[in-house]
Amino acid sequence: MSDSQLTLKQTNHRVDEWTKHILARVHSNHSILRMMILVVVAFGLFALLSPRVFLTGLNMQNMLLAVPEIGILAVAMMVAMLTGGIDLSLVSIANLAAITISTSFTALAAHDKALAENLGPALILLALLVGLAAGAVNGFLIAYVGVTPILATLGTMQIFNGLAVVWTGGKTLYGSPSGLTLFGKTAIWVIPALFLVFIAIAGVVAFLIGRTPLGLGLTLEGANPVASRYSGINSRSLLMRSYLLTGLLGAVAGIVFIARNPTASADYGASYVLLVIVIAVLGGTNPNGGFATVAGVFLAAMTLQVVQSGFTALRLSTFQYSIAQGAILITVLIVDQVNWSKVFRRNRRTSRA
Amino acid sequence: MSTAKNRRVETVVHAIKGPNNEGVLLLVLLALIIGMSIASPAFFTLSTLFAIIRSSIVPLIYALGVLLVIISGGIDVSFAAIASFAGYATIVLQLQTGIDLGLFGSFACAIAMGIILGGINGFIISKWRLPTLIVTLGTQGMFMGVLLAYVGSRYIAELPSGMASASTVNIWTTKTETGVALLHVMTIPAVVLAVVVAWLLSRTMFGRSVYAIGGDIESASRAGIRVKRTQILVYVLVGAMAATAGVIYMIMGRSANPQEIVGSELDIIAAVVLGGASIFGGRGTVRGTVLGVLLVQIINNSLILIGVPSAWQRTAVGVLLIVGVGIQALSAKKAAQRTSINVEGVAAA
Repeated sequence: MSDSQLTLKQTNHRVDEWTKHILARVHSNHSILRMMILVVVAFGLFALLSPRVFLTGLNMQNMLLAVPEIGILAVAMMVAMLTGGIDLSLVSIANLAAITISTSFTALAAHDKALAENLGPALILLALLVGLAAGAVNGFLIAYVGVTPILATLGTMQIFNGLAVVWTGGKTLYGSPSGLTLFGKTAIWVIPALFLVFIAIAGVVAFLIGRTPLGLGLTLEGANPVASRYSGINSRSLLMRSYLLTGLLGAVAGIVFIARNPTASADYGASYVLLVIVIAVLGGTNPNGGFATVAGVFLAAMTLQVVQSGFTALRLSTFQYSIAQGAILITVLIVDQVNWSKVFRRNRRTSRA
Repeated sequence: MSTAKNRRVETVVHAIKGPNNEGVLLLVLLALIIGMSIASPAFFTLSTLFAIIRSSIVPLIYALGVLLVIISGGIDVSFAAIASFAGYATIVLQLQTGIDLGLFGSFACAIAMGIILGGINGFIISKWRLPTLIVTLGTQGMFMGVLLAYVGSRYIAELPSGMASASTVNIWTTKTETGVALLHVMTIPAVVLAVVVAWLLSRTMFGRSVYAIGGDIESASRAGIRVKRTQILVYVLVGAMAATAGVIYMIMGRSANPQEIVGSELDIIAAVVLGGASIFGGRGTVRGTVLGVLLVQIINNSLILIGVPSAWQRTAVGVLLIVGVGIQALSAKKAAQRTSINVEGVAAA
């Protein structure tokens, strides 16, 4: 087909698609740049306001130690959001995985202490399987039954959390393989091993999303589910795999929970659900699907950790931090929306007026 | 012409299906009541009935608000935070200034706060057309943060006398063999609100607009419905109703704890969805919502009565929600398969 055969309308449409494509790229770079600026500004601000507390090596190390559990959950949330879904059950899955390790270790240790310690890797595997199973339940409900992700995961959140309450009797469990606790305390040079785990996981997920057919499929599914179905993408198996991945990442976060602090309870991290969504959205993930970058989410997790440590250094309360979280989330949403509408809707608005 | 016919067929199917769903719910409810009455003779008594009504008052008022939001195609998880904020701040205000606003003054004060907070939600959502779940998650954190950081975070055991005066008032008291059956006075506002919301939804232009927006926001705006105004009004109403429920909760509990109410959001959303409201918007009735709330309350009540540990309650509600929305999703899928454009078929080919 030569260009001369194209009608004016088609040409216009093509130009439109091109500009959208280019703008989307600018937006992606822009979101990472924005996050880098945010993290530097936040760091600078707190370093100025409270240099004695904030700029200590201990505080830096604590930040690197605290960020992995939230960061991994946020990466998982990003995967769910990439397809236009959401996973509210993530924290419950993480707790369930942590509880699995703690209860089975305690049960084994009651019989044979040495055996329980040696079976540490098997327990971790078991926790990962629990995460996969939970992810499979979500995936089944969303991909095969056709329940909206919000409601499906709202329901399973309650179910997983309820099971954890029943399992633990609402109490906090103590006990985990000492190897795991030791790993949680290990630092290579000054960087905590858990932080390296976080980087490794972020790298793997970035590779999965950016460089594999699975990632491309997830992105297309999120961008336009109907179009992706027409182009022959099996959205069911795709969604299933996305929630399996989310569940698996949730379990990894649970293992990080228990490596950092050898306790597990059903209500640990209840406030993380909001925080994790904030980080994912802040990192440039489009809650309607179709766009997400791991780098953005990584930077967003660092930013919020800096803000939280900064608030602690300034002796502000967790309640004030909760206000800041909500405000940051809504501000970023609004800023994004304003940019998008200015770029895309100007034509439509003038034609409507 | 054929599209008009199709539409007529669709509305007929819709009209039959709507009452049908509620019919099923009613049958489940009746089966549960009969089953429970056989399993435990203590169940089928006036005092149990009144206890269930009492426990349904606050969830019902929340549910009516959530119903409005869900019909308009959104979802609100900040209503419990608004309820806590309005109820608790009203009490703190009266205790700190020493001015007793009385029962109606307290309600008015709380509702004013609810309107402001709901208005914030509505403004943000309608102005920038943002995802409602994420906006209300954000405002939930902010409302609770402001409440706990600047208003107070302590448990208050003594309510202002105006509010306390209504705590133990009952409309109807009868002595039965098992004890005294009491019908709490706060049943009245709950019933009145249910009637008002039903009237709003079925008889007013506002109600039509809410359904239209939930059906398709773009078509609604092209049809000349003022989308922004309606959306703001929906969230303002939800705020006002949540505030009312918050005050009633504190009156009935005879104490105020700012952190107690938040966390009950799921049960309410579950009840509304069970009552046949579509999470995609455009569908839902007050009748269904009332039945949904009663179902959840009766199940909670009967689990305790037949000796199921309360730890299982959360799981039970989760399962109930999954089953409810699962049935809804499957029936929607069947309906989609019946239409001429079969997307699944194309994908398979």
